[in-house]
Order: sequence, then structure tokens, then C-alpha cells
Amino acid sequence: MNPQKRIAIYGKGGIGKSSTASNVAAACADEGYNVMIIGCDPKSDSSITLLGGKRIPTILDLLREGMEIEKEEDVVFEGYKAVKCVEVGGPEPGIGCAGRGIIVAIQKLKKISQSMKEMDLIIYDVPGDIVCGGFVAPIRKGLVNEAYVLTSGEYMPLYAANNICKGLSRINTKLSGVICNSRSVSREEEIVSKFANEIGSDLVAFIPKEQIVQDCERDGYSVLEKAGDTDIAEVYRTLARNIMASDCAVDPRALTDERLRELTR
Amino acid sequence: MQQKNLSIMHPRPSSIVAALYTLRDLNVEVAILHGPPGCSFKHARLLEEDGIRVVTTALDENGFVFGGHDRLVDMLQKVEERFSPKRIGVVGTCVSMIIGEELHEAVMEANLDAPVIEVEVHAGYNDNTKGVLFALESALDVGIIDRQEFERQQHLLNEATNVEKKYGAASKEYLEPSRGDVKYTVAKRVIEMLKAGKKGICILNAKKETAYMFADITVALQEVAVKLGVEDNIVNFANLDTELGLPRVRQHAEHILADMHDNVKIDEIIGGLDEYPIAGQQVRQLIESKYKDFDFAVIAGVPHAIPMEALEGMELISITNGPRQVHPLKDMGHEHVLVEIDLHPKTLGVTNIVESEFGATLRQLALEE
Repeated sequence: MNPQKRIAIYGKGGIGKSSTASNVAAACADEGYNVMIIGCDPKSDSSITLLGGKRIPTILDLLREGMEIEKEEDVVFEGYKAVKCVEVGGPEPGIGCAGRGIIVAIQKLKKISQSMKEMDLIIYDVPGDIVCGGFVAPIRKGLVNEAYVLTSGEYMPLYAANNICKGLSRINTKLSGVICNSRSVSREEEIVSKFANEIGSDLVAFIPKEQIVQDCERDGYSVLEKAGDTDIAEVYRTLARNIMASDCAVDPRALTDERLRELTR
Repeated sequence: MQQKNLSIMHPRPSSIVAALYTLRDLNVEVAILHGPPGCSFKHARLLEEDGIRVVTTALDENGFVFGGHDRLVDMLQKVEERFSPKRIGVVGTCVSMIIGEELHEAVMEANLDAPVIEVEVHAGYNDNTKGVLFALESALDVGIIDRQEFERQQHLLNEATNVEKKYGAASKEYLEPSRGDVKYTVAKRVIEMLKAGKKGICILNAKKETAYMFADITVALQEVAVKLGVEDNIVNFANLDTELGLPRVRQHAEHILADMHDNVKIDEIIGGLDEYPIAGQQVRQLIESKYKDFDFAVIAGVPHAIPMEALEGMELISITNGPRQVHPLKDMGHEHVLVEIDLHPKTLGVTNIVESEFGATLRQLALEE
């Protein structure tokens, strides 16, 4: 049996981490793997497409209500092909501290979740950039050992991706690859591929911009479930296989701001 | 916010401080508080009186924003260089925990020879015993205590929490502090009972180092009974087992027994100095089997941990060091409740019994007889 994969997907807010994560989860489930997805975005959109558009109570929702979370069933819900879904949730905008929320939820999850040990793949869909200590809690608390960075060929997402690489080396976490979620900008694949090489990694997938991803998402399904015979579904399948087979993670070397600018010019 | 469920109104003892005290009981020589310089200041200073050094990484606004990892690494190395301690503790604070500081990474990076007990704790727990538990878990991880002792401590902590919630300072959302009854009046009543030939049980059920002063009440009562020629009417219970507890706690029991010399005979050992939350059951069995017909009981330390059924029919004189313990004890039915103010600061760093106000009052009144 393969050792358990515990990965986190980082990247700029709004770049498509959740749809990538949930489609990869569905693709791996299709291949017969035991998969768990842990969404750390307050939007709860990592699991929603695996649950037919249904929202599940988040760990922090329950804590806010003062509930004692003691059993896995309180926060772990089964979705498409038995993918186990967990949502961390977050405080209301403008109050409290999201970073601390992640720390608390992760500690709670670690304590109660038995089935985590039985998974072949656990995907942490972490929020946006690594902006503070709380956002790296899944890694720091020993729950993640590989990271992927998601970006497009635009300057801002690349800037965030580069920043994330700084964060990863700071916390001694390996980077397993760069994923490009295309925004159809010029020379996109070339730019992201170059970026990946310069930081010492590889471009492991180029996901073209397709309306069908959006359509499936709106309906509350993954591409794999609703449009399994499309080309884009095949892209996710390949990415999923790459992730499961990957064994060459590197210590990323972040680029200087100047170099990053040059790259996107 | 669920206003209805407000269960705490006045500040509770802090779990950070509880962790510090536990590190002391584990004979840690230096504890580093990772957080702002003002955190737990009063207890940090008190603990220094007790022989453990407490230092802080003194995080400031910049530390809150940018993290304090490097400061902690530097502090760990500085502590080793300056004090060469055999055992070190690192304790989190609210600030460092909220911003997600990793104590372990800093400890690994500092790479010291001495074992380091890491305690990731903040003060946001209703039960401050959480701080003790985290410290013990970490001590177990680095092999300073064994699993058996860990489980024993865990059990005692649960019992201590239950006692506080049922009968103690955590039993109500707000408790008015009180100085209790006047010591002179109560001492007079005790002497009156002794002179009338009434039989009394003196129970020392104290928490750890507080026993250095509460034991003085046992000694004073004994002296007074001897003076009045009624020493046979008094039996002494004490939780002074020298074989139980964390290293420093056992030493306290040894010191106190040694200081009592042959002047005071402890008739019944009711547990170790960390067993105050469970010693009540032992007291109950002893009274039921041997001391049913006694008229009064003088209980010092944690009187609210002794079940009332055990004390039925006896006039109760109880001595605590918590001004917020007076009302709960009165509610339970203790007729006389006394407070030894500032007991704790006076019992830190000592190895001999310390005079109590009630003991001194008893002695003085007996002199005037």
C-alpha cells in the first residue's frame, strides 16, 4: 500500500483552489482511493460540489454555538464516492481571528478524527496566501507534508505563489509542484512553467479555462461527476494521478520581486 | 454571544500559571514564558521565591505582528548559557498561541542539552487544570514522568475540577470575597469545646505547598490540647504521604513531617499533598469506622473537598486561604469559616512550617487560660 498523501493547496484568493481540490478529490475517488477533503475557506466551497450543492456545518460553526464536538460524525460528512468532507469555517467578516480559527479547528479535528488515518489522500484546501501563523496550522500541527501552489499566468497570482514559496521554506515544507489554473492570458503556460522551473519545481498541470467547470460548480457538482467525459475532466484525472504518483518534492527558492516582474513582462 | 450561559464573572486562576506551577513541581529550573513581558507577572515573581527562575521573551507589538520565533530561540540559548539548567520549561501565552507560534520548532532550533518541557497553553480555559494537564503531557513525552504517574495526575485533576465546580470558587458565576469569621471568636469556641471534654478531629487536607501554613493549625491545636490536658481527645488526619506525587510535592510532605518532630502524632495519613480532591473519601471511611462519636472537626486547607455526610453531627471549623471560599463553605453548613490571608506568598520557598494567624490566636488564648 502506498503511504498516505497529505497535501495542501495554496494560492491567491479566488484563483480556483477549491474547484481544483474538489475535482482532484473526485478523480481520486473514481480511481478507488479513500479521500478526505478539508476545506479551510469560510465559503465552504471545497466540499459543496462533492455534496450535490449541500452545505455542511463547519467545525467553527459548531464551536461558535458552544457545541461539544466529540465524534467524527459531527463534522465529517460523506460526499461523492464516499469522499469524506470537512469544512473548517471561519468568523464573521471583520470580527475575531480567522488564523486562530484554523488552529483551533485543526487541533479539534486531529483529536476526534479516527478515519483520517485510513485515508490514501487528504487534501487541505487552505485559504489564500500564507498570511499568518494560523494559515499554516495544518502543516505546523503535522497534518500536511506536501504542498502544491496554484496560480495563473497573471502577475498577482504569481506574486502570491512566490510569497507562498517563501512561507513554505520558512516552515521547512516541500513543494510538490505548481498547478496552473488558466485565465487565458497570453504566454500563460510558458510563464508559469518558467516560474515553476526557476523556483526549483515543475508545472504539474495546466488546467484550461472552460465554462463547463463554472457550470458544474453552479449546479453543485464536480466536473468529474457531472461532465466526466469532457477533456477538462481528463485534465483533472491526469493531475490526480500525478499527485498520487508524485515523489519528488523540493525546497522552493522564491524569486526576487524584480525577477518575477521580468518573468511576466 | 450566548448571554444566558454566562458562567464566569470574575477572573479565574490562569492555566498559564497552572502550567508554571506544574513545571516547578517537576523540578524545572528555568521556565520561559513566551509572550508579553507583563504576562503572569505576579505569579512569575512568586515562583521565583520558590526557587524556579521564570524569564520572558518579552514580545512587544512588533513581536505580536511579526512573530517571536527568533526571540524564543535566542532566549533558550541564553538560558542555557546563563543558568546551565538541568531541566527547562517553555510556556505559551495568549498572545503567542493566538498568532500561532510553534514552541517545538524553536526548541529544535535552539538544540540544547537539557530536556525542554514545552507547554502550548493560553489562559482561555474555564478549567485552569488544563495548564497542568498540558505540562504533564509534555513531561510524559520527554520521559520525565511515566504513564502511571500521568494517569494518576489526570485523575486528580478531574477530581479537583469537580470539587471546585460543585463546592468551590468555580461553583457560582460571582462570589463575593470575604475575610470569614473573626479568629479570636472561633479560637475561643475551640478552647471552650476542648475544656468541656469534647472530642475533635483535626484534618489537614491541603494543596501542595500551602500545607506549610495549614499544618501549623494541627501543631497549634495539639499544643493547646496538651496544655489543657486533653490531648487524647484529639486525633490528627493529614494528607502527608511522602511516597505520592511529583518530586517537589513529596519533598514538601517530608519537610512538614520532619518539622512536626515527635510533638505531633499524625494518626491517619489520608493521601499525598496532591490528593486533596480525593482525600475526602478516605476521611469519610475513617470517620465511619473509627471516629463516629466525635463532636467537632477542624479542617484546614481544602475543607470543601470533604463530603458533608462524613462530618454529620460535628461542629465544623474550617480554614481556607481563598476569600471566595467562605460563602460556599457556609452554604455547605460549615459553622465557622476562617481565611488565612496571603497564605500562598508566605509558603513559597520555605521548607519549614509557617505560623498561621489562627494557630497564633489559639496559642495566645490558651496562654491566657
